[in-house]
Amino acid sequence: MPAAFLLIHAKPSRAWSVLLSWTLFAAGIGAYFYVSHARHRDNPEDRVMPTIAQMARGMYNAALQPAEEDEATAPPDNFVQRFFGSMLWKDTRASARRFFYSMALLVPAVLLGLHMGLFPYAGSFFLRFILFFDKIVALSLLPILFIAFGIDELAKVMLIVIGVAPTIILDTFNLVRGVPAEQTVKAFTLGAGDFDVAYRVVLKQVMPRILNSIRLNLKSVMLFLFAGEMIASTDGLAFRIALLRRHMGMDVIIPYVLWVALLLFLVDLGMRRLNRMLHPWFRES
Amino acid sequence: MPLIEIRDVSVAYGTPTRPVLDRVSLAIEEGEFVCLLGQTGCGKSTLLRLVLGAERPAAGRILVDGRVHHQPDRTRGYVPQKYSLFPDKTVLDNITFGPEVCEFGLAARLTPRFFRRRREFRRQAFEYLQRIGLEPSDAAKYPDQLSGGMQQRVAIAQALITRPRILLMDEAFSALDPGTRKGMQRLIRQLWKDTGATILFVTHNTHEALRLGTRVVVLAKEMPDSGSRVMLDLPVPEPCRDDDIPRLVRRLESASTSSDPLAPASALSEKW
Ligand SMILES: Nc1ncnc2c1ncn2[C@@H]1O[C@H](COP(=O)(O)OP(=O)(O)OP(=O)(O)O)[C@@H](O)[C@H]1O
Ligand SMILES: [Mg+2]
Repeated sequence: MPAAFLLIHAKPSRAWSVLLSWTLFAAGIGAYFYVSHARHRDNPEDRVMPTIAQMARGMYNAALQPAEEDEATAPPDNFVQRFFGSMLWKDTRASARRFFYSMALLVPAVLLGLHMGLFPYAGSFFLRFILFFDKIVALSLLPILFIAFGIDELAKVMLIVIGVAPTIILDTFNLVRGVPAEQTVKAFTLGAGDFDVAYRVVLKQVMPRILNSIRLNLKSVMLFLFAGEMIASTDGLAFRIALLRRHMGMDVIIPYVLWVALLLFLVDLGMRRLNRMLHPWFRES
Repeated sequence: MPLIEIRDVSVAYGTPTRPVLDRVSLAIEEGEFVCLLGQTGCGKSTLLRLVLGAERPAAGRILVDGRVHHQPDRTRGYVPQKYSLFPDKTVLDNITFGPEVCEFGLAARLTPRFFRRRREFRRQAFEYLQRIGLEPSDAAKYPDQLSGGMQQRVAIAQALITRPRILLMDEAFSALDPGTRKGMQRLIRQLWKDTGATILFVTHNTHEALRLGTRVVVLAKEMPDSGSRVMLDLPVPEPCRDDDIPRLVRRLESASTSSDPLAPASALSEKW
């Protein structure tokens, strides 16, 4: 190994990079099971750090058995049917539905940001209000939302939208403002109209950056989603986690947390792939 | 009546305002090929933006075809100094952008007629691609896969294909090697003769200005902190004889460096 192996010019080999990148995962998992094992030796009834076998059993039950609250229905015999009747699937579907409703509502947010950035009247009309709105702590609106929209789906989706949309609008606005004036002038001299310029010149070239901005905001989307579900909901992944906390159901909570992380990772990966596929010209910098 | 009439135009930027152009007046007849010379920062690009209607002068008026234009449109083609190509479109789509938006709105682009017409646009675009000296294989590339000189040439093709009556070019040849530059100069001269377009061409190269233009205009500041004015407006004898050129170059260069802010510095460096 060269002497300067910790310095800027070090060039770790591929094998070393891969090994290093997995080290913390291995250490974390190892430490967990070491401590869990030790606790179970002292107290076989320990519920705080379930063993791998307990978690596997908990997850198996979650993925193949219906939730407690609708146990009444006759259990189907088919494996796939059992999965689709299971607690895990029910919760995932409920959360995913709210998630995608809110994502769909970000489309108008992007369009609003685009128009604010390009059309001076739209900019003057909306900008100050949205700057103000952006500063409102969305979670503090939660009680108001529950009073105004009831405690059903609408309130939860609105919480997400109110929490995330201003950021997306302002980000789009700034990205649109960042497009060099030469581009719009050039498009007009080629005979383009205002909407050609807005949608075919400006929106198209800021789109990959907007998608990246939405990717960065996925965390906030999930944050607001979970807050809504934990406080007022009868299904959803966060509802389940909050419910199981009352019975110390760590054998299901931990796999659920990892499941949510995996889902979010997959959504992010999907968006990154989509971005690269739709915008092959875009160089991330 | 001149096609472009710039009347006592002044422009100032910043706070506190610093004048850039100071009562510039210029009348350009239809079919002229005007080359604009001047030191860097003297307001050449600003003047082009004013003619485009992308900016308003602080004082004075700019009449194109007898009226004031408040926004750029397709009568005035533009090859900007930078950011001239749409980064999200291939070379071919960049060139066909003009013809497409001229004939088809956003909704009309979904009709079958559009796809039939587009084949014609593409054929035409390949013709231009060849004229500016690019390979057909470059057509599918994105702008940032091209060299600076290739980008400039695509930007010129993009502006030429819509056949604007007035063409404003801002240092359009600055990134080209001498050989390609000669070729592009011939191409522009040829297109100018064929179409009878009026061209306003910004350049830093005095020889190029004399070779291309029918008229050379020099912008320069009288004092270091005043705005630029028209210092020299020189009709180029047609055809321009080679032995005339050195004399004209000297005249042009002395006009544009009359208040050279770098002059004291260079005198200083001579002493060292
Ligand atoms: N949007 C702007 N805001 C503030 N100042 C500006 C702006 N645009 C141009 N300027 C200033 O106006 C002056 C003229 O700029 P301009 O781009 O017209 O110069 P130029 O003659 O084209 O120079 P070059 O040959 O380097 O391209 C410069 O000093 C520049 O700093
Ligand atoms: Mg310039």
